[in-house]
Amino acid sequence: MKARWLRVLGAFWRLNVVEELQYRANFVASVLGTLFNMATALLTVALFFRHTAALGGWDYWEIVVLLGVFNALTGVIEAVLRPGIGQLAEEVRGGELDLVLVKPVDPQAFVSFRRLDVWRFTDVVLGLGLAGYALARLGRVPTLPQLAAFAVALAAAAVVVYAIWVALMSLAFWFVSVENIAVLFDAVYEGARYPVSAYPGALRFLFVYLIPIAWTTTIPASALTGRLRPELALVAALVAAVAFAVARVVWRAALKRYAGASG
Amino acid sequence: MIEPAREWARRYGALIRNAWLVDLQYRASIVLWMLWGVTEPAIALGIWWAIAGEGQVGGYARADFARYFFAVMLINQLTIAWDSWYLDRWIREGELNFRLVRPLHPAHEAVAENIAYKARTASVILLVWLLVAAAWPAVRLPFTPGRWVVTLFAVLLAAAMRFFISFTTGLLAFWTSRATAIMELHAGVSLFLAGRIAPLALLPPAVAGVAGALWFRSMLSFPVDLLTGAVHGTDAVVRGLGGQAMWLAFWIAACRIAWSRGVRRYGAVGG
Repeated sequence: MKARWLRVLGAFWRLNVVEELQYRANFVASVLGTLFNMATALLTVALFFRHTAALGGWDYWEIVVLLGVFNALTGVIEAVLRPGIGQLAEEVRGGELDLVLVKPVDPQAFVSFRRLDVWRFTDVVLGLGLAGYALARLGRVPTLPQLAAFAVALAAAAVVVYAIWVALMSLAFWFVSVENIAVLFDAVYEGARYPVSAYPGALRFLFVYLIPIAWTTTIPASALTGRLRPELALVAALVAAVAFAVARVVWRAALKRYAGASG
Repeated sequence: MIEPAREWARRYGALIRNAWLVDLQYRASIVLWMLWGVTEPAIALGIWWAIAGEGQVGGYARADFARYFFAVMLINQLTIAWDSWYLDRWIREGELNFRLVRPLHPAHEAVAENIAYKARTASVILLVWLLVAAAWPAVRLPFTPGRWVVTLFAVLLAAAMRFFISFTTGLLAFWTSRATAIMELHAGVSLFLAGRIAPLALLPPAVAGVAGALWFRSMLSFPVDLLTGAVHGTDAVVRGLGGQAMWLAFWIAACRIAWSRGVRRYGAVGG
């Protein structure tokens, strides 16, 4: 069962990469776009720091570490989630989901991972590069436990982001006519650009407990800079597991409502 | 003179009604776009709120930031123009074809869509602002009807200018497949220069100078500062409005040139 899954996925991704390799100009455009976005984000933070010495208790380069994590996760979102589960609303509306449901594979996994926008994986590299550079500027060399905690927290962050996408996109089964549900994610994720400690209390509560975006950038960045004890990575993993389970439940409940719309 | 005016009113009436009804079908989507549009100023407000603390930043206390960014939410919604995305699609996929054979320039349809869309969304934001203001004194504006009338005028100029910027950039799709990327570049620059992330007064003076010398201040920052009272004195107001009018004329001219050159190149793909 497992092995077959991997074979199916492997075949899809291979096809995908071959297809994307035809459009090499997109690679340049994608890298330039990412560099531009990173520059804008850095300038924004620089603007804030013209008027303050710390943001939510973080200094400039610590925030840049966080921006690096933000960019790495953006890469995962743009490469995997948006081209995959991000298309769900359109398919529920048009009825193309019928074709997915009749396949002998798990629909959630299939919808989520069938397509890759491979060029956007460069965002992950550039983001981690930025985080590494900022660490060097901080003059901090992370210890091995810190690096391990960062790896776990980052993986957990990717799972949390995925869970948020699944939960939000599942709304498409209730609100069939809303074709831009993915925009909801963009609105929420905007808040992950800065450490949660920078926000007023109510927003902070929202970001930690209700829409758990604190776990997407603040926690991995904290693990890397040594702000948090490495053990916290285990909590992050737990949060990710809970978020994943909740998303799965929401997805199942949503799928039950699907009646098919294709003719 | 009266006859053509009545004729245009009839045309626009029909176009706006049509756009309004189309939007009605997509009202949930429109709410989401609106929500997305107000997140950026809301987040910026949260950050400046934290930075200002109990003191002031460059003359801005917490309440000033609150008023500033509420004004940004409203005026950005009133002046934003998505037309480059539509035009890019019209040109690439041939949806421009049937619009070209109509006895009316396609820009009029786009203007009507903007009016219908903004009437709906901006009134929601205004209503939310009023409700929030009832509970939260920080976002209350002083009662200055004269200033509001001038602001309305500045918002109209800004909306018209941003429409022509967006339309002209969309027309670049006649030449390149990356017209929307150019628009996004413009949006990225205007994040700073138009005052979306911070009042121009908090930018380095040289950068704020560039924003004032080009069209960016006229896009958003000037009407926002007018509304919140950061621009005062008849002189400053007249100079600001003059700048807006000048840049509007510039972009109208650019749009005309791009349109007449582009349509000649147009190969009309699709059916």
